[in-house]
Parts: sequence; C-alpha cells; structure tokens
Amino acid sequence: MLPVNWYKTLLLFLWIAPHVLLGVLALVLWKRRLYKKFPCFFAYVLYEISEFILLFALHSVLGIASQQYAHAYSYTLLFSIALRFGVIDEVSKDLFRESQLLKVTARRALQGVAGLLLVMGVLLAVYAPGSSSAKWHAGIFVVDRGAAMVQCGLLLSLLFFSRFSGLSWRRLAFGITLGLGIVVSVDLAFSALRAEFTSVVGAEFLNLLTTGSFLVCVSIWIGYLLAPAVDPGSVAVVPHGEVIPHDEVETWNRELQHFLRQ
Amino acid sequence: MLVAWILVGLAFLALSIVVYVAIRSRTRQIDLEKAVQAFHSLDIDAFRNLVDSDEEAFLRDNLPPRKFREIKRQRAWAAIVYAWEAGKAATALAYIGQAAQHSSDPEIAASGIQLAENAFRLRLHTIGASLRLLTEIVLPDRRSRSHPPLVDQYERTAETLFRLGRFSPGSLLNN
Repeated sequence: MLPVNWYKTLLLFLWIAPHVLLGVLALVLWKRRLYKKFPCFFAYVLYEISEFILLFALHSVLGIASQQYAHAYSYTLLFSIALRFGVIDEVSKDLFRESQLLKVTARRALQGVAGLLLVMGVLLAVYAPGSSSAKWHAGIFVVDRGAAMVQCGLLLSLLFFSRFSGLSWRRLAFGITLGLGIVVSVDLAFSALRAEFTSVVGAEFLNLLTTGSFLVCVSIWIGYLLAPAVDPGSVAVVPHGEVIPHDEVETWNRELQHFLRQ
Repeated sequence: MLVAWILVGLAFLALSIVVYVAIRSRTRQIDLEKAVQAFHSLDIDAFRNLVDSDEEAFLRDNLPPRKFREIKRQRAWAAIVYAWEAGKAATALAYIGQAAQHSSDPEIAASGIQLAENAFRLRLHTIGASLRLLTEIVLPDRRSRSHPPLVDQYERTAETLFRLGRFSPGSLLNN
C-alpha cells in the first residue's frame, strides 16, 4: 500500500486544488459576463464548488461515517452528471450557432447518436461487469459509467463533426469540450476498472488518477479562458497572387451550367 | 472482465483523440491557396459522367451482368474519390468563409457567410453522395439515381467563391 501520509497529502491536494481553480474560473466567467453565453457551464462550475464544500465539510470537519459520506457523494454525483449533459448541449448549440443548415442537420444527427449511445449505456448497465452487489451506490456507479460513455460519445461526435464539416470553434467552447472530454473518458476507464478491481491499493490509485484528471480538466478550462483570443481572420495563410483567377471560375460556372442543363 | 477492458480501451482511445485534436488545433493553418487549387482540380465533368444514370443504363444494356457489376463498382469507387476530395475542399472553404465572416468589410463578411453556408451544404451532400455510392458498391445491381444536388451545390459554392475572389487576398485576410 502507498505510504499513508504521502497518499493523503497528495489526494488532499488533488481534491482541493481544482476547486480553488474552479473558484478562479467562476470569478473570471462572472467578470467577463460569460455566464450569459454559457449559463449551464457556469452553473456546473458553481455546483462543483458547492459540492466540494459540502463533501469536504462532511469528510474533514464533521467526520461522518464512510457509509454516510458515500451516500452524499453519490447523490451529488447524479446532479453533476445531469449538469454535464447540459454543458454538452450548450457547447453543441454554440458550435452550430452560425449555420442554420447545420443547426438542424447536425443536431438531428447528434440526437441519433445520443439515442444510440443511450441504448448502449442501458445495455452496459444491464450486463455491467464487476460486483453484482445490489447496494444502491453500486447502481449509481453503473449509472455514472453509462453516462460517461454517452457523454464521451457525444463529445467525440462534436469534435468529429466540427472537423469533418470545417466548423470553427469558439475558444472557450473548445476548451470546455476538451476538458470535459478528458474528464469523462478518464471517468469511463476508471469506473470500468473500479468495478473489476476492488483492492484497496487499486481503489486508492484510481482515486488519485480521477482527481488528477479533474485538475487537468480545470487547468484546460482556465488556460482557454485566460489565453489571448486569436483573430479569426489571421488563421489563413496568405496566398501568392489572386485568391481566385476570375476567368477560371467563370469557365467553371459556364461548364457547370452547361452540364446542369443537359 | 472483457467488457471492462473493452471500456478501458475505448476510453483511452477517446482520450487520445481529444488530446490529438487539442494539439492539432494549435498547429492548424488554413492554406487558402491549396484549398482553391483543390477546388479547381476537381473535374466536375468526370464526376458527372461517373454518376450519370443514362451512362449506367447504357452500360447495363451492353455489358454482361458480371462485367457490368465490376465496372459499376470501379466507377462508384472513382466517384467516391471525387466526392471525398470535394468534401475536403468544402471543409477548407468553410474555414475560409468563417474567417471572412469576421471581416470589418460588410461585403466580405456577407460573402463569407454565404461561402461558409454553401461549403457546409456541399460537405453534407458529399457525405450523402458517398454513402449512396457505397451502397452502389455493395449492391451494384440496384438502379442508381443521378446526383444533381451535389453538382448543383458545387456550382453554388463556386459562384460564391468567385464573388469572394473579387476582393484582394489582403482585404480578406487582414480585416
């Protein structure tokens, strides 16, 4: 087993640090009035901070029993999962903001993907690996794993779709997607491992990695929020000469019209 | 046990994709010249010929069934390559259109909006056309429809690109 003090200190640091950074993030979001553009993300940030304060108080100040702590953790986790879905919906709306065509087409495609992932998540819950314990918190972790799979799939679909169609992300929306993508994919992997490996050392190690991944996620959010914005007009490489030789395009147009009339 | 490891594998694949996208987004540059060249290099005439239903009917009537299936599959593969390249060009044009939307010149911004929208439409049509062509490869005996929306969209994008090309590159990129 890991040395107790070293483990506890590191875990405490990884538990507290991202929430302190979340406080900074909330402050910057508030000051820049970005909560108007990303209200669900702002609510998620505030919720995570409140959740941390509650759980930290229960664990460190009130020193409640581990069973009661697990209850509190599980209930707060459910609301956190729901808010993450809201954040994904928000970034997808932001991504398709400038194209009416994509608003309709892509959102319909995403709904299809979400439906498919939901079915897979339910199947995964039914044929869940690991302990068949009927304990309520085991059920909540199965829900967490299913939700992580759906969220991971949705975020990847957004990234694929934007890349495939040439959609430009707004800086913060991209940062939110990346950060959340890291958290949910790590969550998915570790929840699957946690179900299989129930040893204390394994659980402690996975705890460290999970909290560490959240620190990485919050750092990404802060980084994307504070980094100077890139002028969208400067991303292109300036070509030599004219953008389009006019006569060539005119010839193309003539030819195409000719073919269309055939 | 196996399900758990599959999930772990999928999760790490997802994580790798996210990290890759993050790194690529920092180094990505849109090469306007390359995009325009790619757009020009597409032989719409050849594509139209490849997906022409009359041409297909002629081949069906004059070739033995086995030879017809072979030829049809080859034609469909070639058409997929065209659609794929058109899609890639459309993606680049969409980026350019979106960059132009932020121009302080309202005319360029308006052209940018139109270019981006046409490019998105072209991209979606290329996906639809590719899927249909893949069906033709799998089921070569199925009578295929012609693909006018793709050609039509190509033309509209070319028109918008032409309007955008009336402005100097400096005015497009430095605003």
